[in-house]
Amino acid sequence: MALAVEMTGISKYFPSTAVQANRGVNFSAESGQVHALVGENGAGKTTLMNILYGLHQPDEGEIKINGKHVLVPTPNEAIHLGIGMVHQHFKLIPSFTVAQNILLGIEPHKYGLLRQGYENDMVRALADSFGLPVEPSEKVSNLTVGMQQRVEILKTLQRNAYILLLDEPTAVLTPQEADEFFKVLRNLAERGRTVILITHKLPEVMKVADQVTVMRHGEVIEVTSISDTNINSLAHAMVGRNIVFNKKESHVRPGEVIAEVKDLFVSSNNGAAAVMGVSFQVHKNEILGIAGVSGNGQNELTEAITGLREVDKGKVLLASLDITKAAVHERRKSGMAHIPEDRMTMGLNLQTTLDENVIVNQYRQKPYSRAGFLVAAAIRKLANSIIERFSVASAKTGEGIATLSGGNLQKLVLGRELSGNPHFIVASQPTRGLDVGSIEFVHKSLLDASRSGAGILLISVDIDEIFSLCDRIAVLYRGQIAGVLSAEDADEQKLGILMAGGNLDPAEEMTQ
Amino acid sequence: MDGSNGLLIVDLLRSGIRLATPILLAALGGAISNRAGVLDFALEGKMLLGSFLGILAAFWLHNSYGGALVAVLAGGLLGWIFAFFYLKYKVDLVILAIAINLLISEGTVFFLRTFYGNVGSWTDASIQQLPDIQIPIVKNIPVIGQLLSGYNAIIYASWILTALLYVVLFYTPFGRHIRAVGENKEAAKALGINVARIQYFALILGGGMCALGGAFLSIGHLTMFTRNMSNGRGWMAVTAALFGMNNPIGVFLASLLIGVADALAVRLQMLTTIPPMLIQFLPNVLAILALVLVGLRNRANVALIRRKFSLKSQKISEDGKSEAIS
Ligand SMILES: Nc1ncnc2c1ncn2[C@@H]1O[C@H](COP(=O)(O)OP(=O)(O)OP(=O)(O)O)[C@@H](O)[C@H]1O
Ligand SMILES: [Mg+2]
Repeated sequence: MALAVEMTGISKYFPSTAVQANRGVNFSAESGQVHALVGENGAGKTTLMNILYGLHQPDEGEIKINGKHVLVPTPNEAIHLGIGMVHQHFKLIPSFTVAQNILLGIEPHKYGLLRQGYENDMVRALADSFGLPVEPSEKVSNLTVGMQQRVEILKTLQRNAYILLLDEPTAVLTPQEADEFFKVLRNLAERGRTVILITHKLPEVMKVADQVTVMRHGEVIEVTSISDTNINSLAHAMVGRNIVFNKKESHVRPGEVIAEVKDLFVSSNNGAAAVMGVSFQVHKNEILGIAGVSGNGQNELTEAITGLREVDKGKVLLASLDITKAAVHERRKSGMAHIPEDRMTMGLNLQTTLDENVIVNQYRQKPYSRAGFLVAAAIRKLANSIIERFSVASAKTGEGIATLSGGNLQKLVLGRELSGNPHFIVASQPTRGLDVGSIEFVHKSLLDASRSGAGILLISVDIDEIFSLCDRIAVLYRGQIAGVLSAEDADEQKLGILMAGGNLDPAEEMTQ
Repeated sequence: MDGSNGLLIVDLLRSGIRLATPILLAALGGAISNRAGVLDFALEGKMLLGSFLGILAAFWLHNSYGGALVAVLAGGLLGWIFAFFYLKYKVDLVILAIAINLLISEGTVFFLRTFYGNVGSWTDASIQQLPDIQIPIVKNIPVIGQLLSGYNAIIYASWILTALLYVVLFYTPFGRHIRAVGENKEAAKALGINVARIQYFALILGGGMCALGGAFLSIGHLTMFTRNMSNGRGWMAVTAALFGMNNPIGVFLASLLIGVADALAVRLQMLTTIPPMLIQFLPNVLAILALVLVGLRNRANVALIRRKFSLKSQKISEDGKSEAIS
């Protein structure tokens, strides 16, 4: 079959971080196929695709599109060549409508004026022709993540993209949304479009891709067709060793209650009730999972417990101390740690140095500050110990962290949060967007923390993650706990029923 | 209300419109830069340059319209310099604005002293004030005619620019690109929109409009240049742009409000025994109130945007499936 994309000998060095992000990479994708590109955080996948899309210039190497030599100096040129890219972080204008976003830069106009009605018709026609329904006049800021992604894809299709580059498109999707999304990809491939899919989720690769390229440390390690490989050998190729998919082993008998939530009511920003009468206890040595489809109150619950959102009613107790109204720093002082869902905006400050990032949770405390002044030596020591203990690759004390890969950023967050030996850890989607190696690391760190006495509340929409870590699993549905299962009792089917709002009691099921 | 009161109000509004004009022009300039994602704190300096060069050029060219045109061109050039340092050398916007404001305010004094041996102010008898223009037909309509007719060309220009900018921003592809760049530069860039070109354009246009506002002071309102003639109006314009939500119509109303408050302060000074300092403070109090309002609204907006965009707050839809609003 014809090659849609052929990149040969691509090299790219970033002087600012002294990283050789791509080293003599040969990469090709056949037209009409879904080609997966996998590799550890920092392997150079995004860099390679940015080069193809004209966002970076390679130091060396050639690019052929449909057999013809091309130069891609700018994204504009890439668009001309029929290449479209959906970035890891969406590039949408929140206050614009769906149609305005899709047609940005190619607006139809008459006498120099925009034609809003016609724009909506155009987008509706495009969406229908690809079977990707959207409401053209809806503001993008009102859309779900899944719909925003659809807008991004339509944006490329509107520009006649025959080659679609998708950078970790499923990282932000719920499992249901992801399944829907795979159908879209298969459908596009059947229509002769070429899809290049960067992802960390190997089961997805097996499910949706035709071919897969594995990268490690800027080089291509393996190119194979899906029928000739499996998850374990892909994982091995990615990290260069065997990956142990963690399972919670022997169940430590949970100790006394560390944290408790009592009849908690929390509102969402628009005032609607988001958490309604939730109660649970987290014990010493225990990992309690909060499972559920995203959007069922997880965020409000997390924020209420960690002090980022006001509680309407109910109580949050930490070691029998009432912290319902306590300030964030007071909670942290009493032994709470928080690994937030979004490491880029909440977990870390990418504009500042590594040192400042590792002490934001304890800068008031000795030995990091004395008489109101920060003690640089003590901070540096902590930073170094975190870098070492959590093997944060390519990070240096005193330097910026903006260019660290996702896995390394998350290790930094973990390092900071776990370094004070907290009693109670609230971890929200701690492995979103991470590669298998980093996931293994995060899971191991959390298991270690629970073994050494911490109680952990793990909020995750990833069922596999819940299964591999938790002692007990509570399912959140529409702001309420739909049921609590012990790890032994739980299986995918039972959780699925609870997550969808069903009932586990067969008798009741019959009468309905 | 009897006739004399009515007259008083028309008179107040007329002088309010006059006082609002320099602020409006600078604020429109600021608004377009803000819309393109460049917060421009150098409005004050750009205005002052317009006042200074406007009157000098009017003197040299023996033509006040020529003076205004030179002011606009010079303001555009200054806007380009601002853009050049910001876009090419990534100079911090606040530092750049401070530099420009200081440079112009001290530079004009230096120039006056060196060439005219004068520090405080400068004028020449040959300089003509821009003439007031009566609009045919409109001028004969009672009250409305008095309100809308009989101003100089810069005032009419400010109205036309308000309308024009409104149409450009919200009804043309180019305006939409400006707003896109201001809201999410990366998104615009990824679609091949030339971000730098748009920001250059906005700053050049903004500089020209500021300078026209400045020229209004020296050749439209008075026929003299005095040291630090803009006297904080550039900062008022920053306020008006923010208070008017960077929407030309809103900016127009905000500027008018400030202008009328100014006119009212002048009248109160003449009519009452309230200490003049206190009265002169009135427009500033208004500006502070406006900024407080802007601040409160922004906080609400940030919360809203954060909820909707980055924190992935969630909403449960009616059909039982859940949806994330992000
Ligand atoms: N603009 C840049 N400037 C400097 N260094 C960069 C830049 N972009 C990426 N890097 C570095 O290049 C390396 C490869 O990064 P890249 O983003 O391509 O990895 P990736 O495979 O996409 O990782 P992830 O799975 O975390 O997204 C990393 O070490 C990163 O720090
Ligand atoms: Mg990447």
